[in-house]
Amino acid sequence: MSAHETSGKPGFFQRNKSYALLAPGVIWMTLFLVVPLGMMVYVSFWTQTTFAISSDLTLKSWQTFFASETYFGALMRTIRLWLTVLVLTFIIGYPAALFIGQFVRNKTTQTILLVACVIPFWTSFLIRVLAWRPMLGKEGAINIVLQEFGLIDAPIEVLLFTELSVIIGMVQIYVVFMVGPIAFMLARIDQSLIEAARDLGASGWTIFRKIIFPLSLPGVVVGAIFVSVMVLGEFATASALSGRKVNLLGNIIVTQVGSLKWAFAAVIGVILTIVMAVVITLLLRVVDLRKEL
Amino acid sequence: MVLEGLSKSYGDTSALRDVSLTIEDDEYLTLLGPSGSGKSTLLRLIAGLERPDKGTVQLNGEDITGLAPHRRGLGIVQQNYALFPHMTVFDNVAFGLRWREVDPVTDEAEVNRRVGEMLELVGLTGFEERAVGQISGGQKQRVSLARTLVTQPRLCLLDEPLGALDANLRERMTLELRRIRDTLGVTFMHVTGNENEALGMGDRMIVLDAGSAVMIAAPEQIFDQPQTVRVAQVLSAYNILQGSVRDGHFEHGGSHLPLPPGSDNAQYYAIRFESASIVPPDDPSVLMRATFVASEFTGGGVTYFLRGPEGVFEVERHLSRADPQVYKGGDMLGITWNAADALAFGSDGVLISASDMLGAA
Repeated sequence: MSAHETSGKPGFFQRNKSYALLAPGVIWMTLFLVVPLGMMVYVSFWTQTTFAISSDLTLKSWQTFFASETYFGALMRTIRLWLTVLVLTFIIGYPAALFIGQFVRNKTTQTILLVACVIPFWTSFLIRVLAWRPMLGKEGAINIVLQEFGLIDAPIEVLLFTELSVIIGMVQIYVVFMVGPIAFMLARIDQSLIEAARDLGASGWTIFRKIIFPLSLPGVVVGAIFVSVMVLGEFATASALSGRKVNLLGNIIVTQVGSLKWAFAAVIGVILTIVMAVVITLLLRVVDLRKEL
Repeated sequence: MVLEGLSKSYGDTSALRDVSLTIEDDEYLTLLGPSGSGKSTLLRLIAGLERPDKGTVQLNGEDITGLAPHRRGLGIVQQNYALFPHMTVFDNVAFGLRWREVDPVTDEAEVNRRVGEMLELVGLTGFEERAVGQISGGQKQRVSLARTLVTQPRLCLLDEPLGALDANLRERMTLELRRIRDTLGVTFMHVTGNENEALGMGDRMIVLDAGSAVMIAAPEQIFDQPQTVRVAQVLSAYNILQGSVRDGHFEHGGSHLPLPPGSDNAQYYAIRFESASIVPPDDPSVLMRATFVASEFTGGGVTYFLRGPEGVFEVERHLSRADPQVYKGGDMLGITWNAADALAFGSDGVLISASDMLGAA
């Protein structure tokens, strides 16, 4: 019986033909993601001298990172900034998404509003970041206006080249990545659910807490993953708006690579990758995306 | 509950025109109307999901026209069930008890007891922890019903509750709905586009057409003596013929049809599908000739579709009375019926002849 079955079965390649669809992607990702990642981990254990690098394995680069106030401080600063930006994009983005997804009932208007959110992306990243300088500077637009109205005597200096300016810049750039997925989930909520909840006697706030928010949660998680991945790897906004005073892990990688300190750059690269992996894992814990999407 | 002169229009199209209606306690009311007749609009006005342009809704003598839906003490079971997808069956049913603004049930033991009782009534004990995505259409229907009934509404509105179920399940839910209603003694208002459902389930029936309530009566009365020709049309149990009276006969497409007594100025003539019978074309009793088009076996009988002088003519034959006849497409046949079984309507579409009670046997 079983022999008969075996002879009747199509060959291995016949049976697994559909997997061939994955081949280009798998090859690409192996060559340009998996191998470089492995390489990065390997290089982080190489021996770095001032002008040269050798493949003798050592923990020295790792020890330097955790012993140094500058570098470990950069890790802490990166996490702090990431959390701040994440919370702010959520606080600013959710109400906007709620408006687009729930209160704009016309599909065309919804699309127009979402497209409007990405209009800033029509200009280059660098211009968007640098445009904040004449806004926030000591003699920038905000200070001039406030002084004209007599609201302040001296210009507010804390606005530019501080952590605050980096946060302002990042929130402005990344908030749209929060709005998009949340608005999408909110727009998918069937209105009859809300009518049913109203009919069952729930107040508007209860409906939001018990129906609308839980159903939009997958959007929040997807948005948070987008924002997190981008903010954690950021270096351009930080260097442009902080006058190189605020160093994130990304900035340090750039500097180290610039001065050919490959082993040390690799250490930070590994740490950054681990932080991102942990963050994404935690966010996915919040909601079972497999079930929701 | 009393509805008075309810009107509602969307833009230029008027969805509901001057509907007045009294809903009694403890009755099963069915609302029949073809699609687009304003059924859902009427339901939404009663539930408070929309405001009427004109007219009032009163409950126990109190005007509740402007009252928010959750303060009316009504329940609505939506056509698509509208179950909360992120909650279990239990949490869905418990929603109204736990989270209503007025007088929520905070004692979890009480919630448990009432939800348990309700799930038992709808036959879903043991399904408490299931996700709503894991249950069948019929079970969703029951969860939706339980979720509404557990809040003890004074009136439960059902929007085409059986529409999405397959025929088998529909039959079972029909009995279930009546049993559940009888147990709880709550008034059901059941909206449907299916005449059999409306006739079979209601203590009283409302026929809605083009936004107006054209007839409100007991199902038997509506079926036997439709007040207007539109009601007869909506019931889809009548062949409706158009013509005029000449020399004591109703002239329709060259046929001279006998008039029921007292209907001298009839313009519409209606004969029930099962009141007509097919005879050979040269039979002396033939009233009208028609060509055979097709037939449909319905289990207990056969429905024959014929092409009369001006459109389709349907004849139903119950197999308990006679064996099915087989005809070929294009066959010329005769149709006959008793003059007393016919109904005649005037030029305004209103019934002018009252036939003897039909189906007395």
